[in-house]
Amino acid sequence: MKKRKILKIIRITVMWLVALVWILPFLGVFMTAIRPMDEILDGWWNFKVFNPTLENFSKAWTHPTASLAKGTVNSLIVAIPATVIPLLIATMAGYGFSRYDFPSKKLTFVLIILTLALPQQMIAVPVFQLLNAFGLVDRYLGLILIHSAWGIPWITFFMRNFFSTIPRNIEEAARIDGASDFLVFFRIIFPLALPGIASAAALQFTWVWSDFFLALITIYSPEKLLATQRIPLMRGVYHVDWGLLAAGAIMVMIVPLLVYAVLQKQYVKGMVGWSLK
Amino acid sequence: MAQVVLEHVDKIYPNGVHAVKDANLTVEDKEFTVLLGPSGCGKTTTLRMIAGLEEITKGTIKIDGKVVNDVEPKDRDIAMVFQNYALYPHMTVYQNMAFGLKLRKFPKDEIDKRVREAARILGIEELLDRKPKQLSGGQRQRVAVGRAIVRNPKVFLFDEPLSNLDAKLRVQMRSELKKLHHRLEATIIYVTHDQIEAMTMADKIVIMRDGVIQQIGGPHEIYNKPANIFVAGFIGSPAMNFVNSTVIRGDGGLWIKASGFQVKVPKEYEDALADYIDKEIIFGIRPENIYDKFFARDAQPYNTITGRVDVVEPLGSETLLHVTVGEDEIVAKVDPKTKAEVDQPIDLVFDMTAMHAFDKETQKAIL
Repeated sequence: MKKRKILKIIRITVMWLVALVWILPFLGVFMTAIRPMDEILDGWWNFKVFNPTLENFSKAWTHPTASLAKGTVNSLIVAIPATVIPLLIATMAGYGFSRYDFPSKKLTFVLIILTLALPQQMIAVPVFQLLNAFGLVDRYLGLILIHSAWGIPWITFFMRNFFSTIPRNIEEAARIDGASDFLVFFRIIFPLALPGIASAAALQFTWVWSDFFLALITIYSPEKLLATQRIPLMRGVYHVDWGLLAAGAIMVMIVPLLVYAVLQKQYVKGMVGWSLK
Repeated sequence: MAQVVLEHVDKIYPNGVHAVKDANLTVEDKEFTVLLGPSGCGKTTTLRMIAGLEEITKGTIKIDGKVVNDVEPKDRDIAMVFQNYALYPHMTVYQNMAFGLKLRKFPKDEIDKRVREAARILGIEELLDRKPKQLSGGQRQRVAVGRAIVRNPKVFLFDEPLSNLDAKLRVQMRSELKKLHHRLEATIIYVTHDQIEAMTMADKIVIMRDGVIQQIGGPHEIYNKPANIFVAGFIGSPAMNFVNSTVIRGDGGLWIKASGFQVKVPKEYEDALADYIDKEIIFGIRPENIYDKFFARDAQPYNTITGRVDVVEPLGSETLLHVTVGEDEIVAKVDPKTKAEVDQPIDLVFDMTAMHAFDKETQKAIL
């Protein structure tokens, strides 16, 4: 009994330590963002003087050369279609892989899984050349296509696994009830797969939103820059306004957090898998 | 309502498993037919082929005189109740039951009428607005049946529908399904591995094993005249006793001679056994046809054997005795007032008019 109690205390302590390590940098950024420059020069953990302000946020939002307001709009223009397009395609592909038999199904699936192992740095040059050939460099469409292509394999994999947790009998019942393949998918499977789709959407959106690398190699016109690309531009040549940078970083982080908050209930279900219970 | 006919139907799965072999079966209009067998015997595959959920490898399936080999499940005019109910989890009970009618473009008031009527029959009217996850197993079962009956199909297919229910509910649903069959006058094909379900509900029982139909017949026929050792052993609980023995000619006729006993064959069976004189057969007798001599009405030296009691299992309404006779063990279902005690000798009387005999080679019934 006593041993169990001690173990519990150790477990909770370790959890807190890990959580602290995780949250400390974020707390630092947050404190830096809400305090004036002169207060944080001695370290954000120094609370002798504490005058919280939202000034850094408004400065970042309306920054003269790297306005986050414009950046947020641009990021949304990329992130929304780059979430919807791969989801639409990969959900159907995942369903196909989970339910239908076709020649070379295994091989195709293995190829799709293999692409998950590709590092982005490796494809940077060929992708750039490809976009260049199609005249899609410095255009959102090009970036959306890359993100979609990058998202399809893992969403296909994820959704296939999700679909295989849905009992086949439900589809068969619908088929006997009079539904065609198309109706089975949209009236039965799609609603049941919503938790999975929501999870995939949250992850893909976050990924696209916080991407820096792909945006860096494809978008370069100053007015087209995405939110993530604008934060480094807030650094002056001779002077770094840490408060401004921190505020910008937080504002960029908030969007995926909002997405999670909205989809949270579905997200948890999606991670657990489908069940009638 | 309709007749269902299977002619030389085979099913071979892509992985080479031969699940159903040359199945021939006629399910008459309005008949309650049960496909019965141990798991893996091909009964569910047969049902799924009738439903159109599995393609058939060879042969033809006809529903109402029409070949349906290449007809989609939705166009076969059948309804199916699944073992796990397969309700649509995101729809209410009402929507679950209305889904098939909606897809078939029934007018709204007709759908409403049918759903409410089915709900009334099944006693689930107050559940219509609930989702499946808010229902108990028994209620889900009723909804699944309701979803089938609203469509008023030609044939109902049931795939072990009661196996997920507890014992008490199963007994109740069994009689309800039987009543429902009378009421709907429907053709029903019902798959189960539970012989009691089969015996109590079926007009016709089809016994399958390893993809092969072993016997087709009414419950009494299957019980009293099993076609082979498998059927004889599968139907009845406890199972029939099988004893290796020899047919011999002796005092006043033919006798069955086993390692530990010798009993006389009734006159009327002698002709059938004439070809087996001095040959080995498998003698069969059901536990319920063996009596404690103390309570037997017709104990004669030629039908009485002596053994040693190994186990006594009182069940209340009767008592099971496991008795060693020579090299064989025999189970007898005797009067609960029996005085039998473990390790004591006991005299048992065989009702030889209920004896069975099987060919040792072919395992087919001789009697």
